[in-house]
Amino acid sequence: MNSIKKSPTDEVGKRSYTNFSQLNGEHPFKTQVPGGRVEYKARYRKGGKVAFFNFELAKEMGLIAKNHPNSLTPDLEREILDTFSLTIINEYDLMNDIKFAEEDIFPNTFMATRYLQLQHPDKMGRTSGDGRTIWNGSVRNNGITWDVSSCGTGGTKLSPACNINKKFYQTGDPSVSYGCGLSEVAEGLETLFFSEVLGKNGFKTERVLAILEYDKGIGINVRANPNLIRPSHFFSHLRQGNLETLKQVADYYISRQVENKAWEVTSFKTTKEKYYYLASQMARSFAETAAKFENEYIFCWLDWDGDNILMDGGIIDYGSIRQFGLFHAEYRYDDVQRYSTTILEQRQKARYIVQCFIQIADFLTTKKKKSLSHFRTHPIMQSFDKHFIDSKNKNLLQKIGFKKKDQDHLLKNHLDKVTRFRKVFSYFERSKSKRGMYKVPDGINRDAIFCMRDILREFPQLYLTRLNTLSHEEFLEIIKSSYARKSDLKLTDIRKKQINRFQSHYLSLITALEKDFNISRTHLMLELTMRSSVINKCDRVTGDSITYIVQKVQKLRPKLTAHELFELSQQFASYQNLDPDQKLVVANSPERHKNIMQNLYSIVRECREGL
Amino acid sequence: MKLVFYSGGDEKENLTLDHSFLELIDKKNPVITFIPSSSYLSEQEFKSFVRHYSKFKITRFIYFPIDVPFDKIIFSEVMRSDAIHMAGGNTFYFLNSLRKAKLLPQLKKFAEKGGVLSGLSAGAIMMTENIEMAGYPDFDRDENIVNVKNLSALNLVDFLFFPHFKNSPRYDAVFNKYTRSTDKIIYACPDGAGIVVKDDEIRFIGKCYAYSKGHKFNIN
Repeated sequence: MNSIKKSPTDEVGKRSYTNFSQLNGEHPFKTQVPGGRVEYKARYRKGGKVAFFNFELAKEMGLIAKNHPNSLTPDLEREILDTFSLTIINEYDLMNDIKFAEEDIFPNTFMATRYLQLQHPDKMGRTSGDGRTIWNGSVRNNGITWDVSSCGTGGTKLSPACNINKKFYQTGDPSVSYGCGLSEVAEGLETLFFSEVLGKNGFKTERVLAILEYDKGIGINVRANPNLIRPSHFFSHLRQGNLETLKQVADYYISRQVENKAWEVTSFKTTKEKYYYLASQMARSFAETAAKFENEYIFCWLDWDGDNILMDGGIIDYGSIRQFGLFHAEYRYDDVQRYSTTILEQRQKARYIVQCFIQIADFLTTKKKKSLSHFRTHPIMQSFDKHFIDSKNKNLLQKIGFKKKDQDHLLKNHLDKVTRFRKVFSYFERSKSKRGMYKVPDGINRDAIFCMRDILREFPQLYLTRLNTLSHEEFLEIIKSSYARKSDLKLTDIRKKQINRFQSHYLSLITALEKDFNISRTHLMLELTMRSSVINKCDRVTGDSITYIVQKVQKLRPKLTAHELFELSQQFASYQNLDPDQKLVVANSPERHKNIMQNLYSIVRECREGL
Repeated sequence: MKLVFYSGGDEKENLTLDHSFLELIDKKNPVITFIPSSSYLSEQEFKSFVRHYSKFKITRFIYFPIDVPFDKIIFSEVMRSDAIHMAGGNTFYFLNSLRKAKLLPQLKKFAEKGGVLSGLSAGAIMMTENIEMAGYPDFDRDENIVNVKNLSALNLVDFLFFPHFKNSPRYDAVFNKYTRSTDKIIYACPDGAGIVVKDDEIRFIGKCYAYSKGHKFNIN
């Protein structure tokens, strides 16, 4: 492999791909947290091609020049393959003395990190972690250090299969699925389309840097984020009471946050201050994340092992991530042995994770591990609760369409009005079908029956045209979703009262701004009409739609170049960008792309209220 | 019937047409419905539309994408509005969506009952008998991305409309040829130009051109 490596250029006489060489397996975590990883030699994996490359992200990370065209030159493709096309030499290979050509073996080792995972029998994190992922390294650009890891690079001894069955597996062994160490291109595509959309809409998330493709749909999915550490990286050592490694993980994580200027505070007088600041940052991030997940109907299986989420609340591992079209708050994913949490239970799980970080701060400071319950009423827990409610209020005002200035004003001066509206909004949002709980393809659900986006989009414009509120019947006609049955839509006295409340509380927010800023009601409602049409657009991506879109893209892929797939993913993300202040640049795309995009829009439309 | 045909162009270029449009509406702070040709990124178009007409002190607008599901409340409000504007875009996709939503007869009825109907480019072509002009000539046409076969449209006027016209021999050749085999007149309008129809009266704004029986005529 090394013998074919050259010094590629994209400009005459100037090397441009040199930063790829930093992704050579070396990573500060390796040396700073020796007990937090296992290392593997790796060999070059032949027969790969680049199915996707995220040119914009690569520019942001400094891997390619800012003026690099968004096209895959032969030199760039070779650089990507030379860097990421690899398979680890694992325990099975060593035990069976499998020989690999010397020139194919990378000079450095690559690490798989240890973290807590529920699926492992020991439930202590001694055996669990990256089961089919290695870390390629880190790269620094414009004051930000990025972590890069690759999924599908071979089975490690940290996979559940290894530990449940107590044996090592050869990479690609068809007798185990997840444990075989491979990944599929489809998984990368799912992450790509979902993460680009969620990233555009203000969610913190892993991003897909590249997807490499091999025979039979097998792939390597390369991910990047400024910090790929998860709460579960701490929890394994916390559970084991391993103070030394826990401190190393905490110090490593904090130094990266400081280095990336991700926190407001960058220096600490004492270690106690440092670790409690970490806990308070966790409270802030996880309160915001849990509130945003609720508001945007994101199902992310948060659990006490904290392995499905990054430390800043960023989304990682899109396998079980969903975005619902309605507030299907009772959906549970069926993971064979158990059901997942629901959207509403995510808050408690997030709270629990924060409580663990207070326990960690205390443990690191006092060197004594107290029971978790000891921290139940800690002030940081109260700040989590307050921040969660504040975030819920703010998110709702944003969803209505208020500008930031107005949101802040209402939160500061009219919190009672905001709270009243949030309560009646929740009444409709959480209304459930009389059909009750039933099985869906991958779990169970009880349908939500009202589409809140529809009423938030239509109410301001209908009010403006009539200068009057809606009748009860009209209100229900607008808000009802395709999941609502006739029996779900009875106009009971309570429901009539709630419809009246919804409209009057909504208008009380308008009146408050009207009076405080001396702006006309029509001006405000017109502004909300425009902003809400973007924020609450009819077509919104759901988990189901992403699944179908990936199927569609997979069918088209033999004819799609890496560059075309990049363009389509960017166009799709722009289409799902719900920021009313975005500056829109309409891409002048070829007719073939327009046809493909039309197909993708139809899928989103079809699945707009689903799971 | 009150109809306004916009070819295209920017706000400044269309100022005269805008005034004619508002004169036809003849109402203080009317309700104007905006129908995009496709819902794709149309919220941004709607914002531009609102910002533009707000300058005329209009504050009441309805955003009505028709290729997504809509409820009967908003629909009945649309039909009660004072004017409906059909935006530009892919004419074939627009027609297909209007037909799927069963809106063609409703819009016709709206115009016949005295509502002001306006259209820009694709939206303007929609008010003619059919949308053939969208696929003509070969060197300047919309792609029939939805493979729609039935091209008949609102049929509110007895002429054909060609937007974004550029006065050149290339167009002369194809339009002269086209009109030799039809009784229809093609009115071709460059950006900023357009046509205002009020019952039996037709008014041309800006420099327009007519093609009839194989001949070209300058208007204005």
